[in-house]
Amino acid sequence: MRLRALLLMAPALLLLLAVFAWPMLEYAWLSLHAQSVFTGLEPVPVGLANWQRLLGDGRFWQDAGQTLRFAGVSVGLELVLGLGIALLLHQNWRGRGVVRSLSLLPWALPNTVMALGWRWIFDDPNGPINALLGGLGLATLPFLASPQLAWIATVVADVWKTTPFVALLLLAGLQMIPADLYDAFALEGGTPWQALRRITLPLLRPYIFIVLLFRLAQALGVFDLIAVLTGGGPASSTESLAVYAYLNAMRFLDFGYSATVMLGMFLLLLAGSALLLLLPRGQEVRS
Amino acid sequence: MTLGRRRSLWALALGLALAAALLLWPLAWARRPVTVRVLMPAPFADATAAMVADFNRSPRGVRIEVTRGPFETEAVSDLAISSLLLGDSPYDLLLMDVTWTAKYAAAGWLQPLDPWLGPEALAPLVPGARAGNRIDGQLWRLPLLADVGLLYWRTDLMEAPPRTPDELVTRSRQLQGQGRVPWGYLWQGRQYEGLSCVFLEVVHGFGGGWSTDEGEGMGLARPAAAAAAGWLRLLVSEGITPEAVANYAEPQSLQSFRRGEAAFLRSWPYAWQELQGEGSAVAGKVGITTMVAEPGLPHAATLGSWGFSLLAGSAHPEEAITVLRTLTGADSQRQLVRDWGYTPTLAALFEDPDLVKLRPQLPLLRQALNAAVVRPLSPGYAQLSDILQRELSAVITGGESAGPAMEEAARASRQLLQASGREAAA
Amino acid sequence: MKRFGRGGAALVVLLLLWSLGPMLWQLYTSLRTPEALLGDGAGPGGGWTLANYVQVLHGAPPFWRYLLNSTVVGAISTLLTLLLAIPCAYALSRRGGLLRLVVSGGLLAAAVFPYVLLFLALLQVARQFGLANNLLALCLPYAGLSLPLAVLLLQAAFAELPVELEENALLEGFTLMQRLRWILLPLMGPAVVSTGLLVFLFSWNEFPIALTWLSRSELLTLAPAMARIAGSSVFTVPYGAFAAATVLGSLPLLALLLLFQRQIVAGLTQGAIKG
Repeated sequence: MRLRALLLMAPALLLLLAVFAWPMLEYAWLSLHAQSVFTGLEPVPVGLANWQRLLGDGRFWQDAGQTLRFAGVSVGLELVLGLGIALLLHQNWRGRGVVRSLSLLPWALPNTVMALGWRWIFDDPNGPINALLGGLGLATLPFLASPQLAWIATVVADVWKTTPFVALLLLAGLQMIPADLYDAFALEGGTPWQALRRITLPLLRPYIFIVLLFRLAQALGVFDLIAVLTGGGPASSTESLAVYAYLNAMRFLDFGYSATVMLGMFLLLLAGSALLLLLPRGQEVRS
Repeated sequence: MTLGRRRSLWALALGLALAAALLLWPLAWARRPVTVRVLMPAPFADATAAMVADFNRSPRGVRIEVTRGPFETEAVSDLAISSLLLGDSPYDLLLMDVTWTAKYAAAGWLQPLDPWLGPEALAPLVPGARAGNRIDGQLWRLPLLADVGLLYWRTDLMEAPPRTPDELVTRSRQLQGQGRVPWGYLWQGRQYEGLSCVFLEVVHGFGGGWSTDEGEGMGLARPAAAAAAGWLRLLVSEGITPEAVANYAEPQSLQSFRRGEAAFLRSWPYAWQELQGEGSAVAGKVGITTMVAEPGLPHAATLGSWGFSLLAGSAHPEEAITVLRTLTGADSQRQLVRDWGYTPTLAALFEDPDLVKLRPQLPLLRQALNAAVVRPLSPGYAQLSDILQRELSAVITGGESAGPAMEEAARASRQLLQASGREAAA
Repeated sequence: MKRFGRGGAALVVLLLLWSLGPMLWQLYTSLRTPEALLGDGAGPGGGWTLANYVQVLHGAPPFWRYLLNSTVVGAISTLLTLLLAIPCAYALSRRGGLLRLVVSGGLLAAAVFPYVLLFLALLQVARQFGLANNLLALCLPYAGLSLPLAVLLLQAAFAELPVELEENALLEGFTLMQRLRWILLPLMGPAVVSTGLLVFLFSWNEFPIALTWLSRSELLTLAPAMARIAGSSVFTVPYGAFAAATVLGSLPLLALLLLFQRQIVAGLTQGAIKG
């Protein structure tokens, strides 16, 4: 019986190991080697030189900070907006099914498609936002040409795309909360605001936890959006760790260091998730 | 149930047929006669299309097949690198930017051209176009077109172009003050290769350079580098250049200048044709010259040329060399100058009276080519340039002041050189 | 439930504006001439054009090619994923104890793993095994990346089926394959469809691996093709053409979403509830 179960699982597990576990071993090996244009793209053992370079690489740490800030702010905004949308979609009104699927469209699109669209929307001076500002007699804003504004632009584009996903998961959570809880609370004279804080949020905690888990991991690996929208500039202010690793591999042809950057990022993630898992998790959902 | 099964059988058969078609697709291509495959950026694929068609009509037993790459230099490089890395290089010849040569040669992707073309292959070229092709004594690339950074100025707004940085600033302020143009000077300030090109001209104009005898990138530690970066920042902070320049590549700056929104533009020779074209607000009102420089210092022009390299994996090197010779030959270059306004590399063409009549800017372009400055010729160039772009972008956007930023760029460049030295020795 | 007043209606309008506004702007842009977009003398009523679409559809290769490639990759990846995930999920749902805990934990970790980290190693795989520039080969990593979520979703659905059903079939002498095919899978329909749709969406949209595994333009899938289009002119910034490409690239997904919204939503929410 056990053997048969293993046989049924084997093909899937083998592919999983090949796709997820093998790369980490490959990186561990590569990070101890120099493989770059200077070695004719042949791997040459160099001990811990790549790791030493990583520790002293201000750009790696700056990008790590930027990536974390991006993920924190985007996911935070997505949670707040997503909760609002979920509450809205949880009400009974006609046509909410259609609205729900239409509002899901941003989530379904490839990142690169709308990243290109945002480039035009944020264009200075011809994009629609600046055309509007100009029409109102205000100064145009150099969205993609200022480090602060470009960073905001990436956050807006990310929030736009992934809020529907967050909203949908939270909506599923809302639908699990029995309605009579609210009725009873209202009878006792509780306001809707109090109901939100005393009933909805505590009962939503497991869902919020899942959203955080999925979204934070994705946002920390942000690549597509930045590669197309800003390319990491200006002044590398929007560069994420994934973009830096990509640059090292595909532009600089420095595979040893690129692998080190990725493994470093993986270790940071591991540490981060350990922290997250240690946080109190609220009551478990019945499975 | 049988219906369902039959349907799934159909689906399976369809899937298999599709899979087979996709797998056999490349095989069908491989069964053709000797074909030389060339990857070119889109503008050059368009410009050479007529010549390639001519070549393919003549009975030589060789066919040219051009792959039309993307437009942007960096996008073409990404494409070429990923093809080469994947080890399935479908090309024999590659039309390369001058800055890629060292990297591609070091990666072992190119074949030296000397055995095919002999030691004098570069002799017929204008001196400026010879740089950047021979590395460590071997010829890796033969240039087709020359490219130099130029200063475009508006003949309807002034008698003569400014020659020093101060003059450019004063003139811009004056014209902006009079309300004749919204902006003074447009250039390429996005964090990308174009920014390094802009900087190289300015740093020479301030008496410095990017590289010194101490090594590539070491010029950034000198005061001229800080002066140059500071001047670029001044253009933005004084409103001579829009803040949006930090996101400008060639198309954005050219588009804005073409609409008559500025007095000066830094661009490449190809912009000339576009500025004279239909719909341009500045047609017939544009002059070109070299970049401004402090009094007594050279007016530098960043060299950016396009040339062919023979890929190491080519199965038909002999035929590929025939194609390379034809495409870089005098007839071909003449046609590119005549029909498309590109800049040739063969010295003779700059003196061809018919061509000069048609393209009066040729003598000036030759002069600019003589003043051409080359970006560092290092396999690690992409990284050196990235270091510089990153710091310059921070200066332009006001995040850092010029002095410390250039010091940091010099420090990072030095570190890179040391690391690469260690790796090369290992 | 409290009344859904005028304020609520305003919020719905706001939500739709926020979600669809940028898309509608792209649609508008795609139908305008460059002059109209830059505000250069197109009178009211003027400046409309289909030229942007013509340009994109007549590119080399034409835009529909990318859509076709994405569809092929999406469909085959989905089939492959389901083929591998269903037996695995079944076995997992029928086992208890440590094995299930370890495998489920590993799957959850893999499901939230930012897969962009894998691109360099997968590039090496493509180089070593000659898998580059092959749409079928690209489905292998896609299936691998989709498996964690697929197995988790299907496993939860299997666990919900009553055990008696299978026990009865066992008594009647059904083999394992027969039980799966004739008893369990028909009941799993909705879960399989939802899972398949999520896998399809992922494969259709994937960027970093397609970017490194495909270099021939006629084989590009939609995501890398869009990125390549981004740098496509030295003279002007062809925003109209970009917009036409984004519209064409979005249409199939809009159709998919409207046709299968219930299943997609179910797939997503199942993940949240059972995860």
